[in-house]
Amino acid sequence: MKPAIYDISAAVDKDLLRAEVRDDLTVMVAGQGGDGSLTIIALLSKALLHRGYHIYRTSDIASRIKGGHAAALMRASTKPRGNLGDQIDILIAFDLEAVQKASNRLAPNSIVIFDSSREAMPPDLVPETALMIPVPFSRLSVRDLRRDLFKNSLGFGLLGRIIGLADKEVESCLRKHFKKLSSAQLEPNIKALREGQAFADKAGISGRNSILTLPAQAVENERIFISGNHAAAMGFMAAGGRFFAGYPITPATDVMNFLERNLPAVGGVVMQAEDELASINLVIGAALTGVRAMTASSGPGIALMLESIGHCGSAEIPIVIIDCQRAGPSTGMPTKPEQSDINMVTRGGNGDYPHIVLTPGDPEECFYGSILATNIAQRAQCPVILALDAVCHDNFTVPRFDLERARIYPGKRVTESDVAQMEEYRRYAITEDGISPWAVPGTRDAMNLVTGNERNEWGLVTTEPDMRVAMVDKRSRKIETVRPLLPKAVEWGDVNSPLGILGVGILGGVMTEAAERLAEQGLHFHCHRPRTLWPVLEDTIDFVNSHERVYVVEQSEGAQLAGLLKSEGARADKIVSILKYDGLQFSTAELVATIVEKERLA
Amino acid sequence: MTKTYEIRKPIWCAGCGHFGVQGAIQYALQAAGIELHETLVLAGIGCSGTVQNNIGAYGYHAMHGRVLPTAIGVSLANPDLTVIAAGGDGDGYAIGGGHLMHALKRNANLLYVVMNNGVYGLTKGQDSPTAKTPLAAPEEDPLDAMMLGLSIRSTTFLARAITTRSDQLNELMLMGLQHSREGKGMAFIEVLSPCVTYDDTYSQWMNKVYDLDADPDYRNDDRGKAFFDLNRLIEQSLIPIGLIYHGEHASLQSAMLSDVTPFHSLEDQHAGHFNQHMEEVLSAYAV
Repeated sequence: MKPAIYDISAAVDKDLLRAEVRDDLTVMVAGQGGDGSLTIIALLSKALLHRGYHIYRTSDIASRIKGGHAAALMRASTKPRGNLGDQIDILIAFDLEAVQKASNRLAPNSIVIFDSSREAMPPDLVPETALMIPVPFSRLSVRDLRRDLFKNSLGFGLLGRIIGLADKEVESCLRKHFKKLSSAQLEPNIKALREGQAFADKAGISGRNSILTLPAQAVENERIFISGNHAAAMGFMAAGGRFFAGYPITPATDVMNFLERNLPAVGGVVMQAEDELASINLVIGAALTGVRAMTASSGPGIALMLESIGHCGSAEIPIVIIDCQRAGPSTGMPTKPEQSDINMVTRGGNGDYPHIVLTPGDPEECFYGSILATNIAQRAQCPVILALDAVCHDNFTVPRFDLERARIYPGKRVTESDVAQMEEYRRYAITEDGISPWAVPGTRDAMNLVTGNERNEWGLVTTEPDMRVAMVDKRSRKIETVRPLLPKAVEWGDVNSPLGILGVGILGGVMTEAAERLAEQGLHFHCHRPRTLWPVLEDTIDFVNSHERVYVVEQSEGAQLAGLLKSEGARADKIVSILKYDGLQFSTAELVATIVEKERLA
Repeated sequence: MTKTYEIRKPIWCAGCGHFGVQGAIQYALQAAGIELHETLVLAGIGCSGTVQNNIGAYGYHAMHGRVLPTAIGVSLANPDLTVIAAGGDGDGYAIGGGHLMHALKRNANLLYVVMNNGVYGLTKGQDSPTAKTPLAAPEEDPLDAMMLGLSIRSTTFLARAITTRSDQLNELMLMGLQHSREGKGMAFIEVLSPCVTYDDTYSQWMNKVYDLDADPDYRNDDRGKAFFDLNRLIEQSLIPIGLIYHGEHASLQSAMLSDVTPFHSLEDQHAGHFNQHMEEVLSAYAV
């Protein structure tokens, strides 16, 4: 039996118009880059945010200006999920390739809306029980609106009807989304939207006669919808960050874009450098004067910066570095997510040097983590890295950030009047907590030398063995000093279970959902998500060692996270690695199936 | 007075040109009346990369080749500081060569002094980009950083001196320092500073320098003519010295620094306008 194909010009079977209630919906819109897939998903997200749903939005795009396969995806759910549903409930496909790509993820009862302008419907690619709706988006858009461009608004009009959104609601979303367009540009979009609705009318899909419905949800706390990059950049600002330098690289450029828009208004400076070496050294220059400074890059750029990061660890210069990890090595797959910079950010660079690596799991943690990173860098006078994964570009609903929580801790800064009370001032004074009082250039009578070479307390270069050891030990002590401030892991699930699941960053969402489903099958897990990667905190090592078996889930071929834990005292016989490095994100179903299979063999 | 670090004695070989360069920097700071605590001397890696220890100002030992981006970061973050970047020809034209053209293009308020001796001293005698006849590739011509400077249209102060003519060196150093202090942009001074140990070019260079300051026909405010004249002199195997170019162009600071708040202070953090701005930024993400 082939799936029913509904001609939009004829009425849809009444049986289908039952306004079936959904509390969890995954939608994919795909075609060639420039087809408007991202716009439809953005509009739909907006509409469902208004209805009180938690939204997780992601994309799968090629690194080019136009063209290449581009897919935008979103999940609306009553619980915050932070990942996509296993299956696609609604697909809008602007070409055949889109259907091919989505094919094995389509839900049995999915709705597939297909642009039939150029190609015929591909019934073999969709489940037999799916509902297929061919719509010549492109042809109609060109015929009636003279531009292919408007097909996204047309698609959104139809989609709104299918999922039971009111026409008014849909139009208001569109107007808000396009508020920067002139009325001459906006009007054809409104017309296109109405055209989409007119198609629905012909099929009898209108008002309560929708196929699905997502009832409005009560929202208790004020929410925002934001990506990890924007949240981290905002946290940096809130923590007094005033200088940023970067070099464009996917997926980190967004941080620079955000700060270019927002930092100058508070007197800050954003510079686009000639390369990553310049970026981080511009940042070092600003940091030397006491200004809170940050750079952001992705794997290849961070690799170039490693010498400078080690230098800051040695010379005791506070800087913040965001690493938006992507699939490596080297150029790798620029738009695809991975967690394979863990070795580099924890152990990269030459020599031993103090630094801290945090790994937030959602935009809320990116915001507060960035505040913490900016403050701890000052406090410990060392580099702090925020290692982000797909959380950097994906958008989540999170509670509105509380700016009151953004405090500024100045660290051990020494002012002119402090110096006046001192008999002598040594920039690298050996202290019990490993942190030396710091006078920045411009401070009268506190002249000092800053260097990455080994040095004595005055900053004069030395290779004297005892001084070398004293200085290395001093720098290492500062990490112990700030250790209590570092965020501990988040734990959830069955605390009594001997079985554990451990993963970092964006995997928190998929781990949560997998553990829920495994529990339904009688397999109970205790879950653990570290938020500090370096130093590795004791609670994480204890977690591994106190369980019988721990699945360490990560997006790298080299099991970098598991390797790190083992090297810091986690017992190798406790760890079972689950690895993914195909450029896609873990799905709950995939993780559940893998764990069930491994448990069966265990 | 609070005791700080003891000023170091230079580590250079007797007869090294760098002594003269250091002397000129010290002369210029004093003559311009600039206080040491308001000065940051940044130096790269190499023999020249120790000059910051010998002056008594704030000093920073930059990463190899990165002295210019670091100095630019400093000059933007605290425009009140006097920023002097120094380094050798290896640091500035080889490993750091990529940054030089961008620094010249940006025209930040700082003084950049390159001590050019055509050779790597610390690693014992390898050719630098300005070596006259590199052993590995004798057919290559040495880089001429003044020609590079002239070819970038936002440069505002280009000069070359030789350590054997200390009056001219001191004068150019003072002019360059004042140029950067007055907010006119980057002063780039290359000093021919021979290495007595690995490539003693004193007599060779003394015989080949051509003093543009003494040439009444030379116009240091005409970029095109300066380029033409320099090229002609180089073709004659001469080394042009003096004030090579002096012009006007907006500085990086004038383009980038806002007067909304004192940039290097955090006092604005809880002031009304900061909170208001942050709330507005946050509201753009409201559901």
